[in-house]
Amino acid sequence: MSPASPTADLDTIELSPEPRGRRARAAVRREAGQPGTWVLLVAVAVAVVVGAQTPRFFSVDNAKAILVSTGTIGIAALGVTLIMVCGGLVSLAVGETAAVAGMVFLFSLDLGLVPALLLGMAVAAAVTALQGAMVGAWQANPIILTIAAASILTAVGARLSATSAVQPASDAFARLNQTPLGVPVVVFALLGLTVVVQLLMKATRMGRLMYAVGENRAAARAAGLPVALTVLGAFAVAGALMAVSGAFSAATSHTITLLGASQLTFNATAAVLAGGTAIFGGYGSAVRTLFGALLIATITDLLLLRGADLGMQTLVKGLLVLVVVLLGHLRGQQGRA
Amino acid sequence: MTADPVRTQASRAAGPARLELRGVERSFGPIQAVSHASISVEAGQIHALCGHNGAGKSTVVKMICGLLEPDAGEILVDGEPVSLSSTHEAQRLGVALVDQELSVVPSLTVAENLMLGAVGEPVLLNRRRIRRHAEELLARVGLTCSPDTELGDLSIGERQLVEIARALDRGAKVLLLDEPTATLSSTETELVFKAVRASAAEGCAVIFVSHRLGEVVELCDRVTVMRDGRTVAESSTVGMHPHEIVHQMLGEVPQKVAKASRRTEPPSLVLRDFSAPDLFEGVSFDVSPGRIYALAGQVGSGASEVLRALAGLYPGSTGRAELDGRPLPQGRPEATRARGIAFASGDRKSEGLFLTKDVRTNLVMTRLGSLSSWGIVRRRRARRVSAEIARFAGIPPTRLRTPVEQLSGGNQQKVLVGRSLADSSVKVLLLDEPTRGVDVGGRGAIHQVLRDAADQGIAVVFASTELDELIELADTVVTMREGRVVSTYEGDATEAAVLNDITHAEGTA
Amino acid sequence: MSIDLRAVRRSSSLLPLVALTATVIGFLCLPAYAGRPLESYDLFNLFEAFAQIGLIALGFGLLLIAGEFDLSIVGIFALSGVIAVKLGQAHPLLGVLAALGVCLAFGALQGLVIALFRIASMPVTVGTYIALLGLTRVVGDDQSSVTFENIDTTLWIQQPVAVIFSPRSLVVLAVFVAAGLAFSATRWGRELRALGGDRKASRTAGVPVNRRLVALFAVSSLLGGVAGALSAFNVGAAITDPGSAPLTLGAAGALIGGVALTGGRGNVAGVFAGAMSIVILGQIFFIAGVDELYSDLVFGLGLLLIVAVNAPSAKDWATRLRASRRTLVERALAAPSHA
Repeated sequence: MSPASPTADLDTIELSPEPRGRRARAAVRREAGQPGTWVLLVAVAVAVVVGAQTPRFFSVDNAKAILVSTGTIGIAALGVTLIMVCGGLVSLAVGETAAVAGMVFLFSLDLGLVPALLLGMAVAAAVTALQGAMVGAWQANPIILTIAAASILTAVGARLSATSAVQPASDAFARLNQTPLGVPVVVFALLGLTVVVQLLMKATRMGRLMYAVGENRAAARAAGLPVALTVLGAFAVAGALMAVSGAFSAATSHTITLLGASQLTFNATAAVLAGGTAIFGGYGSAVRTLFGALLIATITDLLLLRGADLGMQTLVKGLLVLVVVLLGHLRGQQGRA
Repeated sequence: MTADPVRTQASRAAGPARLELRGVERSFGPIQAVSHASISVEAGQIHALCGHNGAGKSTVVKMICGLLEPDAGEILVDGEPVSLSSTHEAQRLGVALVDQELSVVPSLTVAENLMLGAVGEPVLLNRRRIRRHAEELLARVGLTCSPDTELGDLSIGERQLVEIARALDRGAKVLLLDEPTATLSSTETELVFKAVRASAAEGCAVIFVSHRLGEVVELCDRVTVMRDGRTVAESSTVGMHPHEIVHQMLGEVPQKVAKASRRTEPPSLVLRDFSAPDLFEGVSFDVSPGRIYALAGQVGSGASEVLRALAGLYPGSTGRAELDGRPLPQGRPEATRARGIAFASGDRKSEGLFLTKDVRTNLVMTRLGSLSSWGIVRRRRARRVSAEIARFAGIPPTRLRTPVEQLSGGNQQKVLVGRSLADSSVKVLLLDEPTRGVDVGGRGAIHQVLRDAADQGIAVVFASTELDELIELADTVVTMREGRVVSTYEGDATEAAVLNDITHAEGTA
Repeated sequence: MSIDLRAVRRSSSLLPLVALTATVIGFLCLPAYAGRPLESYDLFNLFEAFAQIGLIALGFGLLLIAGEFDLSIVGIFALSGVIAVKLGQAHPLLGVLAALGVCLAFGALQGLVIALFRIASMPVTVGTYIALLGLTRVVGDDQSSVTFENIDTTLWIQQPVAVIFSPRSLVVLAVFVAAGLAFSATRWGRELRALGGDRKASRTAGVPVNRRLVALFAVSSLLGGVAGALSAFNVGAAITDPGSAPLTLGAAGALIGGVALTGGRGNVAGVFAGAMSIVILGQIFFIAGVDELYSDLVFGLGLLLIVAVNAPSAKDWATRLRASRRTLVERALAAPSHA
């Protein structure tokens, strides 16, 4: 037998010692090493320090205010998280989907609160599922695709709100505006949905598939994993979440318009990116998005209390996203030729 | 066309060689890829560099074109020692590389590609001058297409010629061609030969790295053979027969190892006239459960493409490919997997593993369905199963929670193989280069895993270019070249015979 | 296989031509269903609408050809408008120069970060887009619009020139001509396409990739800035949040103009035709009194079609369908012989 030839890989890495400890500790350590976490921690520290010097920041009322403003954005952001993790980049139709679903919700309120909500979620899920199918099966460009979807939804929404100035079909929506324990329902909904989505992503088969497809579509395909169905599913659930966000918006303002649609899209996207979820997929979580949304809302609130206007708030939001994206890239999350 | 006559000592002393390597060494950690390489190429000479996988050829190529620096030894250009610290530096000194990864842009025209990135070109285009210059260059390399043809419309061979033309235009002194004809047809190969001869005639020193020994003898003046990290032979190619080179590449003729023969059951996977346009043609053979088959062939031979087509990664294959009597779905890897065919790609980093996820997650990724109830993954069951698979695949249990990207190449490959065997529904296992980038110890372990899998009734089909792996692991070896099957050996394959087949070196072993 | 590619390529260069021809014909046929003949002010409105989105389509399109995404162009559009208005109340030219200076600096900086760190442009420009919108509002004293007091300039910039043009639309057209010349008559056009066609090969071939990217992002921001300043002067106010319409229409204009989503293909003439087609279509709907519902629907569905055709794996799907249909037929034909 001929002597074995050296077949070294250029980048063979030596075995590294396995971190000892329980699963939870190892997971926390892993997450702590990610750049997004550092930004969050630093930002929280800054917020606390600045907050201490800001009157009325550390008060129950203020905390509630922050949570409420996080509410609808946060729920929509959970949906965007799913899209981003499975490799769908971003959806530029978030606000429009939420708005149209909110309209459907208001129109069908005479069927009861829950059926109306479910109907809205079903409609939105169907619309986004179609987009997911095109992205998953054909690798259609999600940016332009969702721009097209936004356009179509705007048309539909404009027609819906034109024919009958969107009046709620009944008073059933009032339940969504209640404040059990002094905290608005939307906050409970946000926290509850965060738990649900987190479990979906981390504990279910579909969640694991989403991470796999998002991280490496080619590998998932070669392994025979159901790529198209996974992306479709992620998009569908995202649509349902956008619908919930839309329903809460509708309940609060008693009506719904397409006016703030693009605002919601960018706010939700910013919240997800600020939480440290990678834009190119394969990494992120619902909890991260919750923190991202809270962070953005907190900073916005701080700025507000210190007299900064909407422009300054938006500016800081954009810079935050930029910084997180930069740090994430420098730590190797998003490489390019 | 005959090669140049052998140079005498006197004429060699007439001037320094265009490119010379003296005692070059290079290691990667504990592994010494090149322990002693000395090569000398004169201006106007076409010099072949041959050696089988692992001989150190690609490391030497990387050092010449500036991707790596040697640990010891010297590289001289025109007699002056140089430090090829970057590809930029190498280009500046006149070293041009043409390899499989073309640096021409398909969406631009030929003329545009020829001018792309040219130093000193005026901002305002002089179309007439560019066109004329392009036509001259094309004539130099023997391309007859119009300069306004879009590069994407040209065949791979023609694109290579454009790259060679551009290199010549930029004053290349050393033209390094790394397996340039691997995927070319014979007509395209002739084109490349003409261009290479033309370059040499203009004074270029050409280094031709190839495993196609028939071409080496036909085209090149001299050949240097590498084996186990050293340059072991250098001679003129006049009157040489390819199997002499094979002999040098192999070293001692290996003993044949007697293998325990396996029972042959009726075939489960049947291929008849299986073809995929531009990739392979007319492939026919039978695969029975419990046996190990090897497709031996170099890059471009069609060996890995056959596996990929069977896995369902190409939508347009024709011919018969049946598993248990039913035709295999084409173009749908999900459906193929459901039929029981598992595929492990040759590129485990970009098409195999999920690098940031840990070993456990990777191992059970394809059988999550059986580990979940109502869609929720049963963690304890998953952990148990992943431990079992890890045991079967020979992965140390301490590595289970490590992200795969931190593992050694050998362990990474074990994860990929383990995952592919993860559930009992697998009937056929297809592996492309099962031990690429794996050290000796890991290789042995993976081979044992594959033997165990075969013993359990799985049909294993792998594509490889590692001769000892082919001989010692496979029951049946099917050699391929240029998209077609050359011969089939049922247990009587020898390294020399296989190498002869896949490198187009006819003659006795 | 290569024949298929050629057909697709030909279709992407035919698209702008077909779209432009179709929309022009539709436009000329307007009197039939609009109930009135075409007037010169229709053409004037056409070019005004083109002036609104044309440069954004150009900026977005040029970057797309090079394989990059610039979502911040709308942000710089808004910022430029506000700066031009605020600083140009008394001396409009000064305001414009200041605005363009800021755009140039911003674009170059953005390009530098993207090139040096080799980051994907999409997430970066999402952040800068949001930041720019915020900055715009800050500079605009937190108003939703900043009024341009200089009525003379507004009137001047709107006035008809040669009946159907205005100084604004002429500037935009001039920019297109200049860009078109730069793209086709200089080495830059070729290098741009190379950057998008194969970034790695371009680098190896010797294209100064980083320098080109910085220049490119600077140009894109400049184009957005010119459009923003002109728009603000024209309307007599700078809107601090233009919404997503400019980007949507601009991106659509570039895509219909034959710019490939994957980069490497496209040219300025195509973008011109594409943007013009969109504008003409909009005018057709407007003049014919078509419900906004239908115009948005048509636009959305058209874009959807382009995305579907551009999708990388859609072709494989089609091949598979064709192959499975073939096997079905073969099997059906062969069936009688199998007992």
